[in-house]
Amino acid sequence: MLKMNNISKMYQTEMVQTHALRDFNLNVNEGEFIAVTGPSGSGKTTFLNIAGMLEPFSDGEYFLDDINVGKLNDNQRADLRNQKIGFIFQGFNLIPDLNLYENIEVPLRYRGIKANERKRRIEQCLEQVGLASRAKHLPQQLSGGQQQRVAIARALAGEPRFLLADEPTGNLDSLMARQVMELLEQINRDGATIIMVTHDPELARRAPRNIQVVDGQLADFTLYQGAQNLKNVAGV
Amino acid sequence: MLEIKPIFHALCRSKVGAMLLLIQIAITTAIVSNAAFIIQDKISFLSQETGYPEQDIFLFNVMTFGKDVNVTQQFELDEAMIRQLPGVVGAAMSSSAPLTGSGSASDFSLKPAPQESLSVRTGYFFIDEHGVNTYGVKLIAGRNFTEEEVVVTDNFEKQANVTIVSQALLTELFPGENGLGKTVYFGDIPLKIVGVVEKMMGPWLKDSRPDNLAFIPFINATSSANFVVRTEPGQRASVIKQIEEAMLNNYNKRVISRIRGLDESKAEYVAQDKLMMRMLIVLITILVLVTALGIFGLTLFNISKRTKQIGTRRALGARKSAIINYFLVENAMICCVGLVLGVIVALLLGQILMQYFSIAALPPSYIIITAMGVFCMSLLAVFGPAKRAANISPSIATRTI
Repeated sequence: MLKMNNISKMYQTEMVQTHALRDFNLNVNEGEFIAVTGPSGSGKTTFLNIAGMLEPFSDGEYFLDDINVGKLNDNQRADLRNQKIGFIFQGFNLIPDLNLYENIEVPLRYRGIKANERKRRIEQCLEQVGLASRAKHLPQQLSGGQQQRVAIARALAGEPRFLLADEPTGNLDSLMARQVMELLEQINRDGATIIMVTHDPELARRAPRNIQVVDGQLADFTLYQGAQNLKNVAGV
Repeated sequence: MLEIKPIFHALCRSKVGAMLLLIQIAITTAIVSNAAFIIQDKISFLSQETGYPEQDIFLFNVMTFGKDVNVTQQFELDEAMIRQLPGVVGAAMSSSAPLTGSGSASDFSLKPAPQESLSVRTGYFFIDEHGVNTYGVKLIAGRNFTEEEVVVTDNFEKQANVTIVSQALLTELFPGENGLGKTVYFGDIPLKIVGVVEKMMGPWLKDSRPDNLAFIPFINATSSANFVVRTEPGQRASVIKQIEEAMLNNYNKRVISRIRGLDESKAEYVAQDKLMMRMLIVLITILVLVTALGIFGLTLFNISKRTKQIGTRRALGARKSAIINYFLVENAMICCVGLVLGVIVALLLGQILMQYFSIAALPPSYIIITAMGVFCMSLLAVFGPAKRAANISPSIATRTI
């Protein structure tokens, strides 16, 4: 579903060349829930940006649903992003001047979905994240956890095949973080493929598959589910 | 895709910037439309046809202090001498001159005073049979004065009995009929209209009837007199150079002063209007620039304030064109409200100007054209910053700023 072959990302300044990603290879299958961990500056966010087509890569090949992303122009990338990817940001990135309904509506409008269909999807997504009664509220009238749930609703409204989450619980307390994580797990069970960048080892452990990025490369590859099974066998 | 509804809601929730811009657009529309009308009015006033070849005519004053001369006879000699100068087409003594803001006016009536009848105010010149030729005006009906008709007198015992009038005056006195040959009354003095001039302006261009003018063949020379001279095209400067010397050679106990072209005299008369027109042009230019800069600045400010929001929109699938459209639509919405307000203020301002400054009613076309101009200007002002906004990378969305 997502395939990266030898992806490199290089930032060039007058004095220095920095490799944010180097020969990065990854295959993601439909329905997976992957946690991406790694130290600060290791290239996690760069990987997420490239996966989400938010920035171009310097070298290599990236296929999303067999579409060669490197060959697309800016408009085609924007359309593909809109159709296939839902984003959940650490800072929620809700638009402060728009109420919850209008915030969720933003990507749907860009896709040109008709008003009736937009309404149906928005109400369904707000219901799913438990905020149906708050549709007319502004983001600043909600708690951090609620705002992140709105952001998740916005990501879900477009019915994306991919959810990319950048530290989705980074700005939340542990209780709210758990609630958000449970919501993501539920969404994954419902069929969405999720890639989540996180610093939190606890959250990472809950993801069935963990990958670690170190110095712009894939350092480790663990099938957490396998480990979990071993634990179960050992009765730990 | 135009996000009119969410943009409207977003504007309603953060009004201050939009309100300031809206007021600025309204003020600009109101002032520019009225100022543009006044400027156009001034331009047509300044460039109106006067009926005279202004570049070929010059005027001068003669102040005679010598007591040993009959000024009436002397002026006859002077006129004859000037007509002989190379390049001169005509010369005459004229009681006043056109386009100078100084002269005489009276009522011409259909019945002698004090009988009640149609009465029309008109400027008039006392001038001899050389007047029509010297002023270079076009006689379209009737004839010029004959030498015998010109009354030359030192007192007012004898009066002229004919007149040549401008077409405008004739039409006002005899609407819908041919007034040539009819008699009008200058006070109680009957004057038969013997000639009609197509166009000739009186002394006051700002008068409500600037082109009502009559020539009356009457010469009453005094120690102070005005002369008018017409030259061949391009010869005026050389004739002006020699006129003082030539006049003093004829008789030297007098002062020749205020030698100036008719166009220069007119320029002096309309100087204030020209100044006002220039000031208005400067004013509206500054106003439009300030408004354009205001829109430009506010959009730049909005972009820097919404950098993350723009990145997020791009991440959520907005094309660059959608970002540009967003800012254009937002600006167009503010602008439209500002223009509606501006049109109302423009009409009110026009009413006030009409009431207190005798300016004609502001035609709707000026408001419409100004509103369209302001709308286009605002879109142009916002386009650059909007394009800049569209280039914000979607990856901003994942950065902490």
